[in-house]
Amino acid sequence: MLKIKNLKASIEGKQILNGIDLEVKAGEVHAVMGPNGSGKSTLSAVIAGRQEYEVTEGEVLYEGNNLLEMSPEDRAREGVFLAFQYPIEIPGVSTTNFLRTAVNEKRKYHGLEPMEATDFLKMMREKMEQVEMDKSLTSRSLNEGFSGGEKKRNEIFQMAMLDPKLAILDETDSGLDIDALRLVSDGVNKLRNKNNAFIVITHYQRLLDYIIPDFVHVLYKGRIVKSGDKELAKELEVKGYDWIKQEVEQNA
Amino acid sequence: MQLIDNIKNEFQQYMSEAKGLPDGSVPLREQAFAEFERLGFPTHKNEEWKYTSFKSISDKTFQSGSALSSNAEKLLKESLLAKIETNRLVFVNGFFSKGLSNIIEQDGGIIISNINSAKKDHQKILEAHLGKYAKIENEALNALNTALMNDGAFVLIPSNKTLKYPVLIVNITDAGEMNVLSQPRNLIVLEKNASLELIEMYYSTGANVSFTNVVTEVYAGENSNLEHYKVQQESGESYQNNFTQVFQEANTNINHVTLTLDGTLVRNDLHFLMNGENCNSLLYGLYITDKKNHVDNHTRVDHAKPNCFSNELYKGILKEKSTAVFNGKIIVHIDAQKTNAYQRNQNILLSEEATVNTKPQLEIFADDVKCTHGATIGRLDEEPMFYLRSRGIPEEPARKLLLNAFADEIAEMIKIPELVQVLEGEIERKL
Repeated sequence: MLKIKNLKASIEGKQILNGIDLEVKAGEVHAVMGPNGSGKSTLSAVIAGRQEYEVTEGEVLYEGNNLLEMSPEDRAREGVFLAFQYPIEIPGVSTTNFLRTAVNEKRKYHGLEPMEATDFLKMMREKMEQVEMDKSLTSRSLNEGFSGGEKKRNEIFQMAMLDPKLAILDETDSGLDIDALRLVSDGVNKLRNKNNAFIVITHYQRLLDYIIPDFVHVLYKGRIVKSGDKELAKELEVKGYDWIKQEVEQNA
Repeated sequence: MQLIDNIKNEFQQYMSEAKGLPDGSVPLREQAFAEFERLGFPTHKNEEWKYTSFKSISDKTFQSGSALSSNAEKLLKESLLAKIETNRLVFVNGFFSKGLSNIIEQDGGIIISNINSAKKDHQKILEAHLGKYAKIENEALNALNTALMNDGAFVLIPSNKTLKYPVLIVNITDAGEMNVLSQPRNLIVLEKNASLELIEMYYSTGANVSFTNVVTEVYAGENSNLEHYKVQQESGESYQNNFTQVFQEANTNINHVTLTLDGTLVRNDLHFLMNGENCNSLLYGLYITDKKNHVDNHTRVDHAKPNCFSNELYKGILKEKSTAVFNGKIIVHIDAQKTNAYQRNQNILLSEEATVNTKPQLEIFADDVKCTHGATIGRLDEEPMFYLRSRGIPEEPARKLLLNAFADEIAEMIKIPELVQVLEGEIERKL
């Protein structure tokens, strides 16, 4: 589904990604871990289509298409979803109104008629239950006054509503306590199926106890320096990132 | 200057007719006209009129328009806003239209009428209030309106009384046959503990030029409450000067919302004088301009007594080559301790050629006060745009969502839900 080849990207002249190679197939969950400054956020920003980052080399193929040439809205409408690390507040735009617009824009893009109001509300109710989302939050302005945990849950709720093929969770666990973490993870696990794929970007191994990955990659200085399965994550928890850093230095 | 000649003739004609009538306003009118002649139309040299000029109409001839208009009737029937249940007063070209008006609450001393009718039965009340609050010294257009005032709304809510439905004052100008000049004069009196919801609407029709010079005086007696909403949607080539003076006694609460959604040139002067302690005054405004239109909002809040609170938020969305002005004056008098006065003006420019001039003016003479002011001029924030796009919403619909959210904040200050709904629809259309 996703093929990243030798991706290099920089911001304001500073090179952050130094040649990322990654392949994600349908049904898989890949974890990308790494110390601060390794390029985790840059990777998700480039896939989402943020203008500030310049891709200097390499390519990203999504379902065989050149993702980097697509606008952010096209990427989304083709089924890419980024759960933001710091979701912003948009006063005056209600979650309901926002999601209805997003759902209908996606349908329009695929040649479908907009959803009937009653069907949409029904779908909203179902998904709210599925991700254990508080009903009262959806009539309010998007993320306004939401706690950190509520914002992250709102990202997962949006994911449930938009049914993406490729979902990237950008440090979804940051700032969450154990209960919120469990709720968010439950939501993600309920959405996993053999047709979609997830890239879970995280600093800590803790999240991976709940969202069990098929593959774990370690990002360091803009490159994937080690790959393995969920055991690699456990090894990192015990040994820390220094172990990886030393290994990289030794091999250099 | 054609317009000034027009005006001189009209005044002379009025005075010759008035000599035969027992109209107590003659001395006031003479004084007002003298002041207007002394000042003339305001020009750019006057600081308060630096960016706004009625020069383009000063060499046109205007007439007073007819009291009956089938176009006006049609406009009223089609207006969504006028479908809300209200006590309705309709003025066509400044003339009271009994046929199009509809008063549903009359008892208990409540007066919802026009000034000319009130002259017979309520002369004393008129004399007590008319001309007492909106000053004419150095205010040329107020002086002009006072000299030539024809008719307007007269609303009085007696002590402790409130209405079930809002009062709606509709002003329709029909400039189909000729250029029309109308000068409505409104007087709103709230006695002690009275409450009122008041809506003013301005429409126009016809291909010629309309110039509406309106002065409204509001007297808010002790403990009274007023929700006052103004909707300005004059289309075609329309000019409006709208001066509202509010005089507040102690413990009054006023929420004033101005929505300027159309008009070639609109100048609003909204002045509050707090004549008693514990007043609360909220001033909200929204202006959406396009083409080469110009909207100028001048506000003035006089904190003349202690312990009062005022909050102003004016928002503007400027398209194409339009321009706007915001000048918010807050005067905190020397004895007005424990004043809380806040002011913000936020503008979004949707084109490179739109311009806004914004100026806060705070004159603070007391020492125990809290006052803040702020103004922003810019584009739509990038972060919310990216967020919406990342969810599959393309640029245009995303922009519309955000602009509507920006504008709706003001519409939602209105406490009549049906009115808010209709207005949000009008805002969406305008955007």
